[in-house]
Amino acid sequence: MKKITILSIIASVVFSITSFTASAQKLVSSQTHFKFFSSTPAEDIEANNYKAVGTIETSTGDIVFSVPMQSFEFKKSLMQNHFNGKKYLDTKTNPKSKLVAKITDLSQVNFEEDGSYNVDVAGDLTINGVTNAISEKATIDVKDGKVSLMSKFNLTLNDYEIAFESGKPSKNIAKTLEITVHANY
Amino acid sequence: MKYKKKTIKIVVLLVGAGILIAGGLGFYMFNKPARDVQKTSTDFSYNASDIVSEYLTDPLKANNKYLDETGNSKVLEISGIVAQISEDFNKQKVILLKADSDKAGVSCTFTSETNSQVDQIKIGDQITIKGVIRSGASFDEDLDMYENVIIEKSGIVSNK
Repeated sequence: MKKITILSIIASVVFSITSFTASAQKLVSSQTHFKFFSSTPAEDIEANNYKAVGTIETSTGDIVFSVPMQSFEFKKSLMQNHFNGKKYLDTKTNPKSKLVAKITDLSQVNFEEDGSYNVDVAGDLTINGVTNAISEKATIDVKDGKVSLMSKFNLTLNDYEIAFESGKPSKNIAKTLEITVHANY
Repeated sequence: MKYKKKTIKIVVLLVGAGILIAGGLGFYMFNKPARDVQKTSTDFSYNASDIVSEYLTDPLKANNKYLDETGNSKVLEISGIVAQISEDFNKQKVILLKADSDKAGVSCTFTSETNSQVDQIKIGDQITIKGVIRSGASFDEDLDMYENVIIEKSGIVSNK
């Protein structure tokens, strides 16, 4: 009798732990890296940001990133000042950029099994206070229960009303930037 | 005649010097290194809880007070309890200052120069960190969670 009670207690504990794990499906990023790269004959420009926060809801495929714009770090401080300025990203008015998207082919991913999964991500990207629909490819890696996400896509500055119309920046910055995203959850 | 020649010589010299100075200044501006936050004087000193609640109460007002148009935002000294120590993708140490009772904290990223200051820090320590603010605390509906105040270029000011 006692044995059965102990067994049933163990069983119920194990059950509650596993069901808890199954319900805790929202993963929060622990490390992130956003990079943009611009290439023109005049020069290559790169900026890096390690302060974004993101989530993945593994049951629905919802992906969210919030990116603090002043955390983009340039080699040249003058470029960083331009980038933040009112004429360009206006980071005082719009301190954060945001991606709210969904993995559209979630059935491709098994978050419980190690592997590398190519997925399509579609949703809204808001930069500089301007929102556009985007649809890009991403890779989700699962290794030893740890999930990471990687994506590389192009972004057209004009879509976000970021206009480098005159002066040095207009010649030195490409009209289309390459964005690289990497996040560990 | 001799007098006129001398004048021309002086003018040429002056113009030449002007061009050199302007060029040098332009070159300096173009290659100017980023501001050294640790050597910049502190604008405000707070407890982590105070700046978090200031941001949660009125984010627009707080952004106006702390953020700078060119990205050279206010340099703050924040005191608080160490709730978490981690490392980012750039191998920079990150300390979260947050009281248990607060909804959000202050996430402070160090640099390759200041990383070693974190070695002696333990969770639960009461410390003061100096750095530049990048963005404030807020509740984000899409993330469905609170975001921390973000401080970068951090250094430890005091460690009681």
